Amino acid sequence: MGKVILAVDDSASIRQMVKFTLSEAGYTVIEAVDGQDALTKLNGPVNLVITDLNMPNLDGIGLVRKVRANPACKGLPIIMLTTESQESRKQEGKAAGATGWIVKPFTKEQMLAVVKRIIG
Amino acid sequence: MIDQFQQSFQEEARELLGELEAALLLLDQKRDDPEIVGRAFRALHTIKGSGAMFGFDDIARFAHDLEAVFDQLRKGKLQANSELINLTLAAGDQIKSMLDEARGTGAADRDRSTQILAELSHLTGRHEPAGETAPARVVEARCDDGAAAREWRIHFRPGENAFLNGTNPLLLLGELRQLGTLQLETDPSAMPPLSQMDPERCYVGWNMLLTTSLAADAIRDVFIFVEGECELEIAPGSPAAPQSPAGRTGEAKPKSGSAAGGNGSAGASSIRVSAEKLDQLVNLIGELVTVQARLSELSAQREDPDILAISEEVDRLTAELRENSMSIRMLPLRTTFERFRRLVHDLGKELDKDVELTLEGADTELDKTVIDQLNDPLVHLIRNSMDHGIETPEARRAAGKSSRATLHLSALHAGAQVLIRVTDDGRGLDVEAVRARAVEQGLIDGAARLSEAEIVSLILAPGFSTAREVTDVSGRGVGMDVVRRSVEALHGSIEIANRPGAGLTVTLRLPLTLAIIDGLLVRIGHAHFVLPLANSLECVELTRQDIENAHGNHIANVRGTIIPYIRLSEHFQMESERGEREQIMVVETEDGRYGLVVDEVLGNHQTVIKNLGKLYRDVPAVSGATILGNGTVALILDPHRLVQTAIRSASQNNRSDRGWTRDRHAGTGGAEPKVPELLGART
Repeated sequence: MGKVILAVDDSASIRQMVKFTLSEAGYTVIEAVDGQDALTKLNGPVNLVITDLNMPNLDGIGLVRKVRANPACKGLPIIMLTTESQESRKQEGKAAGATGWIVKPFTKEQMLAVVKRIIG
Repeated sequence: MIDQFQQSFQEEARELLGELEAALLLLDQKRDDPEIVGRAFRALHTIKGSGAMFGFDDIARFAHDLEAVFDQLRKGKLQANSELINLTLAAGDQIKSMLDEARGTGAADRDRSTQILAELSHLTGRHEPAGETAPARVVEARCDDGAAAREWRIHFRPGENAFLNGTNPLLLLGELRQLGTLQLETDPSAMPPLSQMDPERCYVGWNMLLTTSLAADAIRDVFIFVEGECELEIAPGSPAAPQSPAGRTGEAKPKSGSAAGGNGSAGASSIRVSAEKLDQLVNLIGELVTVQARLSELSAQREDPDILAISEEVDRLTAELRENSMSIRMLPLRTTFERFRRLVHDLGKELDKDVELTLEGADTELDKTVIDQLNDPLVHLIRNSMDHGIETPEARRAAGKSSRATLHLSALHAGAQVLIRVTDDGRGLDVEAVRARAVEQGLIDGAARLSEAEIVSLILAPGFSTAREVTDVSGRGVGMDVVRRSVEALHGSIEIANRPGAGLTVTLRLPLTLAIIDGLLVRIGHAHFVLPLANSLECVELTRQDIENAHGNHIANVRGTIIPYIRLSEHFQMESERGEREQIMVVETEDGRYGLVVDEVLGNHQTVIKNLGKLYRDVPAVSGATILGNGTVALILDPHRLVQTAIRSASQNNRSDRGWTRDRHAGTGGAEPKVPELLGART
């Protein structure tokens, strides 16, 4: 049974890249275009959320907070996609309960290594 | 594949530039609307982030500086003005031409980029374009193969919130293991007492010794996501022991020494102890287990962690002691099995039949007392097979079989039971003949409708015999019921599988031991019962809702599997108020999986089996009794027979409801409890 990963990013190309890489590694990837969209897709089985930080409607930090406040998603691992200039946002995300992060730009291998570290 | 991503980035970036332009034009009208600034910022941010991902480094760098300006706008550190807006519009055009260039449909003027950025920094009053280290920095200096492996002492304790944040510490340990050889020791020192423990929090820590050629930074990297929220100490330990040839020769010496020692101790590997002493030991342990149950009960009431700790320790030791002494009484079946070779040989001569005895699982161990009482039933079964089942060589050849018959004796473990099978490849049972004979002997009514399995089980009825003439070997009117009785005395049961024309298999299902078992203590009304743990698969809750959903049928849906259940309070006709929630114990029986509904499951119980008096011998569902910690008695239930009696009484109810003849069954004595509506869905 492949693990399900929810990829949340307003950038279609990033979503595409994440989906391609993770699907190739045997994960099942579902996509969401922003935090709000992601919340509606968390009803099904999801083993990991990979989310961008800057998004319209509901940003990454907001998404992390909402997920952590939802008892149905207890302990769901969340990876943030950040850029180097977002050190403070990264700390904010950590404080909100994110599990880990990937710094953009990243390679396929880097992303897979982080995903493996967090959900095996 | 990267081309495909670049293509979609091209499209996306153009869309984003459109978005940026729209936002900028709006911003020109509403200078300090944070919503609009946010839109522009996000567009630039995405262009930067995705651009860097797909190899558009110059675009990413360019967008980065623009983004920095809008970040300041967003934070209110800078005010938007028409100059800035115009400049950003120009920058957007510049990005577009850079995109065109990447696609090969135009050329971008690098000087123009520099010029725009210079003007921007002039405008924002920053002379350095956002001082950021190059984003595409990848640390690759992790592995220096040249370095010698050394030891690192690592102490790691995740933060209490680790699980809630989605961290799986085991994966981190797994990752460490990939870095080198890892020795690991759990550190439970921060564990609170059980009563204060929150199962969603992480209390455990680890002390590890990692031998790797990597540097401390590489080890620290593994923990990067939890750093700051966990206890993490990485300290260099001693260098790994060198694998010198001298070391190896050093190793060889103690080896030869230990071999010599091994020879010496082999002489004392077994001692003879009288069976009586062993029985005494087991009795004492039985007493100990009973006392221990009292101690557990007391410590649970006191809620004193010190006493609780001692009681748990005693509990563990008693269980170990019990298992140990039980294993002392265990003997392989081989000696019993081997003895039958002679029997088969002699019988073969006497009956003029050519039979080969094959053995399987003769090393299976069984309690000594069980083995002792097993000999007679097995002799009986073998005689029966040889006499009635196996044909003469001539008859076998006529039936197309090899003239040499096979009698197969096998034993295997199944949970806390041992299955012993006697299989022959003879003619099997003639179902019609058995039926006719049973009618003749008045065991069943001539009009009774019985399934084939039910007819076959008639041979276990008292006084039943198919042999028309009495032979020297068997058929003296004392039949299979003797076998049945001795097996039931051992709390075992018999199954018969008939293959007409091809043979018969009789399976004896016996408990491993008659002394102490692992049980599950349950409550029904005010009474306690013990279910053997070996038969119990799981317990699930039965709510009022579940009962309503089943529309009065006694069936439950356990994760998609329909399981019929028996409500024990009804089955035993006991007083018990039906609570909001009851528990179903799912048990594995010969007839499949069934649920037994009890009021409450109380927990594990080391059960010393006490035999019940003669009065209770015919109660089919109860195999014994045990003494609880508070001195009261709990009956030990036999799930197999419990389910069998329930099915039987249910099918009888069904048949009599439909006006069918009520069958007299073999092997069921006395009045049986009614199980109303049981298996309403099954016919």
